[in-house]
Amino acid sequence: MPIIKHRDRIHEVEAGVDLERAIRELGIIPETVLPVREGKILPPDHRLEEGEEIELVDVISGG
Amino acid sequence: MKCTICKKPAIIKLRHANLQLCPEHLVARVEKVVAETIRKFKMFTPEERILVAVSGGKDSLALWEVLAKLGYRADGVYLDLGIGGYSARSREYSEEFARSRGLTLHVVPVRRELGAGIDELVKIARGKPCSLCGTVKRYLLNRVALEGGYDVLATGHNLDDEAATLLGNVLRWEEGYLARQYPVLPGEGKLVRRVKPLVFLSEREIAAYCIVSGIRYIYEECPHAAGARSIVLKHVLNELEDRYPGTKLQFLRGFLKVRDRFRPPEPVELHYCPSCGMPTTSEGPCRFCRLKERVAREALRVTGNDAAA
Repeated sequence: MPIIKHRDRIHEVEAGVDLERAIRELGIIPETVLPVREGKILPPDHRLEEGEEIELVDVISGG
Repeated sequence: MKCTICKKPAIIKLRHANLQLCPEHLVARVEKVVAETIRKFKMFTPEERILVAVSGGKDSLALWEVLAKLGYRADGVYLDLGIGGYSARSREYSEEFARSRGLTLHVVPVRRELGAGIDELVKIARGKPCSLCGTVKRYLLNRVALEGGYDVLATGHNLDDEAATLLGNVLRWEEGYLARQYPVLPGEGKLVRRVKPLVFLSEREIAAYCIVSGIRYIYEECPHAAGARSIVLKHVLNELEDRYPGTKLQFLRGFLKVRDRFRPPEPVELHYCPSCGMPTTSEGPCRFCRLKERVAREALRVTGNDAAA
């Protein structure tokens, strides 16, 4: 299964769906993150593949 | 997904701008928006000396990178706030960036200037961390810019920051703050001009710019910022943005068109602190000097207790 890491959590998601849908299904607003694999940004229509690991980098800072 | 401009594979969709961009055109867009913002608001000229307030985060490092690439004379200043490992790591990113690009970075430890870092100050002064930190940062950044002979101080405030500040001010109808919220705050006396060249770029495109440009920055959030009101406001705005793309940009642009209607309740008269000589809005010692005195008193009290023990 593809894996999406966000903060301290690791989510196993369905292979074959596109990244934007997977992010939304995790309850995350796509505007607030950037999906990165091996240092490269992935587009929202990227189809998740078996075994791949994607990190969601938070882009919102504050204080 | 293809790049709107060159049709090569795109990596990011910017719904508010109706664009899908490849790495090359994302970089070009960010630099173009910054250049246009500087020109439109007459922020500074190529001859002027700019001091960039660098935190080690994505916004300030992206700003410094863009200004350097556009050929501006921009140095950086990093305030070591004394916030545990967070400060140590953010300082490392700032120094690494400056070193790799051959840029000048001034490092100012807050503990040296104030007698305490932010971690200790929060315990001593018992105020809201972001408010105390804001006071210290505004004061020191202005002083470093003034003493270094810089014409202008540039900060990395982005579209999300400005829209959240605006929403916060509108919710409380803070007329005075609304009147002062603008991408350029003119200098006056010992107050150095302040500019925000990233105000029309979202946090997401700035983070993407850093990743694509190989800029390493600190991802983690300041430990004192957890639960800060600004983060809640940003979240609300992003919910709206998701449903109605362009909300944040329209909100800010619309406000800038009508901002002249807001007036500060009373004209703010500048005084000079009798202790440090820096500008302050009230008579007597400035807030920074009052905090410094409090830190010194606390140090004496602790030393006295140790001696008594």
